[in-house]
Amino acid sequence: MPIELLIQALLNGFALALVYVLVALGLTLIFSILEIINFAHGEFYMLGGYATYFAFAVFGLPYVPTLGLAIVAVGLGGMVAERLIFRSLRGKALNAFIVSLGLLWVLQSAAQLSFGVLDKSVPRAFSGIIRAGGIIISVERFVVMLAAAGLIAVLYLFLQWSRVGRAMRAVAQDADGAALQGVNIEFISMLGFAIGCALAGAAGGLLAPVFAVSPAMGALPVVKAFIIIIVGGMGSLPGAVLGGLLLGTVEGIGALFFGSAAVNILGFLMVILVLLVRPRGLFGVA
Amino acid sequence: MKAQRCRGWGLMLAVALLLGTAGPAPAAEKLLEIGVLGPLSGGAASYGVELVRGAEMRADEINKAGGLKVGADVYKIKLITYDHKASAADAATAANKLVFQDKVKFIIGNAVGATCNAVQTVTEPQKIMFAFVCWGTKNLGQDKPYSFRSMLSQWEAAEPFYRWIKEKRPTIKKVAIISPNDTSGLDTNTAVVKAAKGLGFDVVAEETYERGTKDFYPILTKMLAKKPDMLDVAAAPPGEAGLIVKQAVELGFKGAKGWTAGSNPATLVSIAGVEAAEGVWSPVNINVKSDFVDAKVRKFGEEYEKRYKEVAGVIAVANYGAFDVFTKAMQEAGSIETEKVLAALTSRPYETVWGRLLIGGKETYGIDRQFLYPMVISEVRGGKNVDLEQVLPGALKALKK
Repeated sequence: MPIELLIQALLNGFALALVYVLVALGLTLIFSILEIINFAHGEFYMLGGYATYFAFAVFGLPYVPTLGLAIVAVGLGGMVAERLIFRSLRGKALNAFIVSLGLLWVLQSAAQLSFGVLDKSVPRAFSGIIRAGGIIISVERFVVMLAAAGLIAVLYLFLQWSRVGRAMRAVAQDADGAALQGVNIEFISMLGFAIGCALAGAAGGLLAPVFAVSPAMGALPVVKAFIIIIVGGMGSLPGAVLGGLLLGTVEGIGALFFGSAAVNILGFLMVILVLLVRPRGLFGVA
Repeated sequence: MKAQRCRGWGLMLAVALLLGTAGPAPAAEKLLEIGVLGPLSGGAASYGVELVRGAEMRADEINKAGGLKVGADVYKIKLITYDHKASAADAATAANKLVFQDKVKFIIGNAVGATCNAVQTVTEPQKIMFAFVCWGTKNLGQDKPYSFRSMLSQWEAAEPFYRWIKEKRPTIKKVAIISPNDTSGLDTNTAVVKAAKGLGFDVVAEETYERGTKDFYPILTKMLAKKPDMLDVAAAPPGEAGLIVKQAVELGFKGAKGWTAGSNPATLVSIAGVEAAEGVWSPVNINVKSDFVDAKVRKFGEEYEKRYKEVAGVIAVANYGAFDVFTKAMQEAGSIETEKVLAALTSRPYETVWGRLLIGGKETYGIDRQFLYPMVISEVRGGKNVDLEQVLPGALKALKK
């Protein structure tokens, strides 16, 4: 097998893995701060996609401001969802699970009724192909990869160096202790949920021109996000990035040797292996 | 006493007036409920939407004309629609609801082969007449006498399509095929591979994918490494076919593009983009504005576009035609009892929206339950679907002579 084919397969896997890492980071951020798993997370990805569709494809705004608008809009939506729905469910995992499932169906059905069931095409934001030897990547996917990497870096710097980011880490470690230190738990919870949803919205906005948008578009990315979090470790940013790259490798190489149908199986086999051998994930805290 | 007499006369007058103005008792308007199933959400939603619209148009026409006259009765048609999301389990649930809860005797419209298998476990034992566009080979057979396919399938289309490719583009030798990983997709791949190999093509790649997949780079990298001259997106629904074509071109594919199951090129073009979609051939879709189709198809297309603000695809026409054939059979039988309607449905030609239509397919399925009508091979040029040549399935060739 030519080496270019292997490199192409790896590149295929990595290119979009970083976008799914964004979705995973949003999910893990929400879990870390509110201790709930938001099963409607994929619908915030979908809302980011539709925000991009309307702003970019319908109203003709330039793509970069459109992406910013999608991030802010979905973030605000997350803020509203936290305030109205999830605030009182903090720490109540089962209740939050059921409520988030209900929110998933409400948002998806609302999208079907509002936007229709058929795929809606979003024009390409960047055109052209990059070739290096026998390796090919579209300019569009390359920009998406860079943008996702950039957002991950911004999130990391925010959490590490900003006052609010440190407060978020404190709440994630010990909410009571953080409260005793003067951290406003309610504000941090709302902000954490908003940023988590904004990350999903960013992913939806980045992939809308690549894949088109549809009401059910959030289902697959959230499944991948769960795989990434389980493999990488819940609550760990470096774990999520590594989990995403591992998933990308498995999918890219797996498709080459075993075909598309086997790729889904490989992802879940990886999850089972990690849960058996290291249940907290590669970088998770015990 | 005088007051009582007046009341008595008044009452008799009222009764006389009532009797005088009442004409012969009107025939009670009966309701004929007909089920429509389909994937109304998810990757295959375009199939379901067209099925419902085709049924709606014919039902509304019949109702506006005063209803369906069957024997001495006149029926108003009411559609009952369920979304099965292309899932066999949901399709079985929906079929159970239609048959046992809603008590329908006719289901006109369904797509996705695996869901048809599931529905038939309910409809056949209950003798429910069932028309669909599903492409599963086993969806028709002697063990399923109440099931009909209203759209040409891969078994009718693949051989004439690949024969046409061999004649018109003899430089195409190597073919790569991709379809969804379910009954329709696997059966389509089987039919296409058989047709292609039978005509001397080298099938260098035959792949499947899970419905709902968006990223085809991994599987396309593997397929395109075999350097095919043509990529056939076979049984992919319009949205996914558009993504496959778009991503194949991004990966540097410059060969010919075919779509054996192509049902709505307009959607493929909108997803793939004009440049990537250029040159896609499809044999089973219908350009409702073309001179290659019957005038009735063009009229249907105009009405469809006026009503739904979109161009009609072949599935809408097929389900409209199925509705037409079934209701005509009910009228011939003089009954809506399915055993009598089935007996009235014969292999003789029907005049439908397609023009002349035959119910055949015995040589492939062992029973005549496949609607046969002329197919038109088309090509996408500059974002528009251009008809190239009309081709007749085998049985229709004999009829035309």
